[in-house]
Amino acid sequence: MLEKVKALRASSFALLAAGLLLAGCRDGTEPSGGSSGAGTASPRRGGTVVTGWIGEPGGVNELIVPSSQVTDELMHRVLLHLLEEQPDFAKHPPTLAPQLAKSFEWSADHKTLTFHLRDDVVWSDGVPVTAEDVRWTWQAQVDPAVAWDSVDHKRRITDVEVVDPHTVRMHFTQMYAKQLLDANEGVILPKHAWEKLPFAKWRQGAEWFKAHLVADGPFTIASWQPGQQIVMQRNDRYYQKGLPYLDRVVMRVVADQASLLAQLLNGEVDFVPQIAPGDARQVQANPRLELIPYWFNLYVGVAWNCDHPPFSDPEVRQALTMAIDRQTIVDTVLGPYGRTATSPILTSVWAHDPSLKPWPYDPAKARAILAAKGWRDTDGDGVLDRGGKPFAFELLTNAGNKPRADATVMIQDQLKKVGIRVEPRQVEFNTLVSQTLAGTYDAAISGQSLDTSLDMTENYHSRSIAEGSNWTRYHNPEMDRLLETAAGQPDMPSEKPYLEKIQQLLYRDQPMTLLWESKRLTAINKRLRNVKPTMQSSLFNLKEWWIAPETH
Amino acid sequence: MIRFLLRRFAASLLLLLLVLTVTFFILRLIPGDPTHLFEGQHLTLAQQQRLKQLYGLDRPLPEQYAAWLAAVALRGDWGTSLSQQRPVSSALLDALPATAILASAAVAVEYAAALLLGVAAARRRRSGVDHAIRVGTLLLYSQPTFWLGLMVILLFSYVWPVLPASHMHSVDADLMGPAGRFLDLLRHLTLPALVLGLSNAGGTTRFVRASLIEVMSQDYIRAARAKGLSELRVVWVHGMRNAAVPLIQLLALSLPALLSGALITEVVFSWPGLGQLTFNSILARDYPLILGATALSATLVILGNLLADVLHAVVDPRVRDA
Repeated sequence: MLEKVKALRASSFALLAAGLLLAGCRDGTEPSGGSSGAGTASPRRGGTVVTGWIGEPGGVNELIVPSSQVTDELMHRVLLHLLEEQPDFAKHPPTLAPQLAKSFEWSADHKTLTFHLRDDVVWSDGVPVTAEDVRWTWQAQVDPAVAWDSVDHKRRITDVEVVDPHTVRMHFTQMYAKQLLDANEGVILPKHAWEKLPFAKWRQGAEWFKAHLVADGPFTIASWQPGQQIVMQRNDRYYQKGLPYLDRVVMRVVADQASLLAQLLNGEVDFVPQIAPGDARQVQANPRLELIPYWFNLYVGVAWNCDHPPFSDPEVRQALTMAIDRQTIVDTVLGPYGRTATSPILTSVWAHDPSLKPWPYDPAKARAILAAKGWRDTDGDGVLDRGGKPFAFELLTNAGNKPRADATVMIQDQLKKVGIRVEPRQVEFNTLVSQTLAGTYDAAISGQSLDTSLDMTENYHSRSIAEGSNWTRYHNPEMDRLLETAAGQPDMPSEKPYLEKIQQLLYRDQPMTLLWESKRLTAINKRLRNVKPTMQSSLFNLKEWWIAPETH
Repeated sequence: MIRFLLRRFAASLLLLLLVLTVTFFILRLIPGDPTHLFEGQHLTLAQQQRLKQLYGLDRPLPEQYAAWLAAVALRGDWGTSLSQQRPVSSALLDALPATAILASAAVAVEYAAALLLGVAAARRRRSGVDHAIRVGTLLLYSQPTFWLGLMVILLFSYVWPVLPASHMHSVDADLMGPAGRFLDLLRHLTLPALVLGLSNAGGTTRFVRASLIEVMSQDYIRAARAKGLSELRVVWVHGMRNAAVPLIQLLALSLPALLSGALITEVVFSWPGLGQLTFNSILARDYPLILGATALSATLVILGNLLADVLHAVVDPRVRDA
C-alpha cells in the first residue's frame, strides 16, 4: 500500500512537472484549433477585441450564478484556480498546471493535500492572495445558505487548514481518483473584499459582487452594461508579467444567432465562439474572417425512456439504432463538422474505447428483430402493431436547434421504412428538461456533455433516475457496480479498464442511440492572432491573444 | 371629482391584484422549472431541492401566494430574481430607463407622423394624397413588428449601412464624452423608435384624419375662415385644438400597445429594456421577476387607462357626475 502511495506521489509530481512544461509550450493534441499566424511573428501589446455572445454572463460569483458557457468564460478570465486544467486529454487525463499554487504534495496516506501558493499574486487592489482566501472560499462553497451548484465536489473534504500565508492543507475523508480535481474545483474568491456580505445574503447579491469585484486573473471588469456588454480590461497587477497582450476585451451580448452572424460579417464583432454549421460557408467566403473548427465535448443522440415499453427492451433499442441511418443524418445536418458517435467518451478523449464501431445501418435486421418480438403489420396500414397497439411514439427535441430539428424529421422518415410511426415535436428547452427528468416522454433528441472527470454516474447510475440526470432511466446493476468501482480507483489512469467496460455496456444496451459528436465552429476576424479555443473554453488562452498590425 | 378619482383608483388596484393573481397561478401551470437552466448542467435532485427551499418554491402554492402577496403589500418587497440573484426591483429599475427612452421616442415618432399625415390627408380628402396616405398607413399597421424590424435592419444597417442594427450604445461608448455618448444613443435609438413608432402610427393617422375632418366641417371653422385667417392657422390652431382632445385620450390608451410592441422591438434590436427582461425571465421560469415585470406593465397600462378616464372627465362633466 505504501509503495502505491509513493508511486502516486511521484505521479502527482510528474503531472505537475508536465504542467510546468505545458505552461510554456502547449502540446499538439489540441484538435485542429489555433488561428493563423500563431508563432510566426512576435506578439504586439494593445488593442480592443469585440467578442459576441448569445446570452449574458450571470455575474462574477460562480457560487451563486448558474453555470453557463458565457458566465464561466468571463469568470475564469477574472478569478483564478489553484491549478489550471490543460486541454491535453487525448492520451492521458488532463494535466493540471500551476496557477495560484506553484506546487502541491500528498501525505503518505493520500488523505491530506498541501498546496504551496505563489507569493507574488495580488488582487487588483494590491492585497496579496493568501491561504486565508483559499480557506474562506471553501467555507463559502460548503455553506448551506450559499447553496453552490457544485458543492458535491467538496463533500469529501473535511477541512481546509491555513499552515502559513502561502501554504494551505486540505483534508479528505478518503483516497479516491478525483481528489485533485475536487480540490481544484471552483475559483478562489477574494476574502477581504467579499466577506463583508454575510453568506445568508449571497443569493440576492449578484449586483453587490459585481460592484465589489477585485480580480487576480489576467483581466478585470471595467464596465458592465446589463443586456448590452461587459468590458474587460488588462489587469496591470496580473502575476505573469507582460500578459495579457490585449488592452480590452468587450463581451457584446447579442439577442440571436442571425444578428450575431450579421455583426461578425460586417466587422462589428471580431470573435464568435460558435456559429451554426449552416453558416460556415458564409464565414469562409469572407476574406476577413477565419473559421476554427475543433471537437467539442457535447454528444447528441436519441434518449429512449427505458421505463416505457417497448423501449425498455435493449433488443428493441438495438433494432431502433440499426433502423436509423446515422451516417446520412450526420452528413446531412453537420457535413464535415460532425462524425457518428459510439460512446459518451468522445473519440478525442484518452479513455475512449476505439474497439467500438458504429452499429450498422441495417433496416432489414431491425425489422427481423422487431418481428421476433411480435411487432408485425397485421392490419396492412404500414405501421407495425402488437396486441392491437401500433408502434408509434413522439420524438421530442428542443426548439431553435436546426441540426436537431432536421434530425427528427430524417428519423421520422427512416423509421417509417421499418413500420414505426414517429411524431416529431419541438418544445422549449426548459420544458424538455422537465419532461425528460420527470420521465414523461418516449424519446428525445438531446445533447449531453461529459466533463474531463469522465464520471457518468449522473447519467447512467440507477440512483440518478431519482436524484440526478439519468434521463434515459437506464438501470442495470452491472452498470451501477462498474460506475462505483471506477469512481473508487486511486487515480484516473486506473479507471480506464472500467471506463471501457462502461462504454461497452452502453454500446450493447443502447439507452441512447448516439447520433453524433460535432465540431464547434469558432469564427474570428483574421486580425486576431494566437486564438486557441479548447473543448472546455473558447477564451482559454485569451491572455495570449494579440492583434496583428494593419497591413494596408 | 375626488370621489370619482378615489373610485377609479380603488377599481384600478383591484384590477392589478386580479392580473397578478391570475399571472401567479398560470405561471405555475407552464411546464418547466427555474432550476433547469442550461444544457449539460447537472444539478442533483438534492441541490434542486435546496435551491427551491431557499427560494420558498417547495411550499404549497397557496402558501407561496400568500407569502408573496404579503411581502409585496406590506414591505414593497418583490422578492429575489432566481436567474439574476438580485432583488427583482433592482432588475426592473435597471431596465426601466431603456424602455422609457424607447417608448417616449416611439410616441414622438408616432404622433409626429400621425399629425403630419393625418392633417395632410384630411385637408386633401379623397385626393391621391389621401388615398396614398390611407393605403400606406394601413400597410405599416398590418406589418408584424419583428418583420418590420428585420427589414429596416437589412436596409439601413447592411444594404445601406448608416445606422447601427442593435444595442443602445456602441462598443466604445464608455470612452466617449457626455455629448458623444448622447449622439451615440440617438443613432442607436433611431431604428427601434422608428419601427415601434411607425407601426403604431397607422391607426393614429386615421384617427387624426377622421377627427380633423369632423371638426373642419363645423361652423366656427367656417367663421374663422370668413374672418380671413390663414389656412395654416385655421387648421393647426383652431381645428387641431379641438381635434386633439380625443388624441390625448388615445395616447393614454395606447400604452398597452406601446409596451407589447416594445417587447418584440427590444428583442429584435437587443435593446436592454423591460421587454427583453420579461422575455428572458419567462424562458428562465424566473417567477418573481416575471411577476414583477407583469406588475410594472400592468400598472403602467392601468395608469394609462386611469389617465384617459380622468382626462375624459375633465373635458366632459357628464362623465364625472355619473
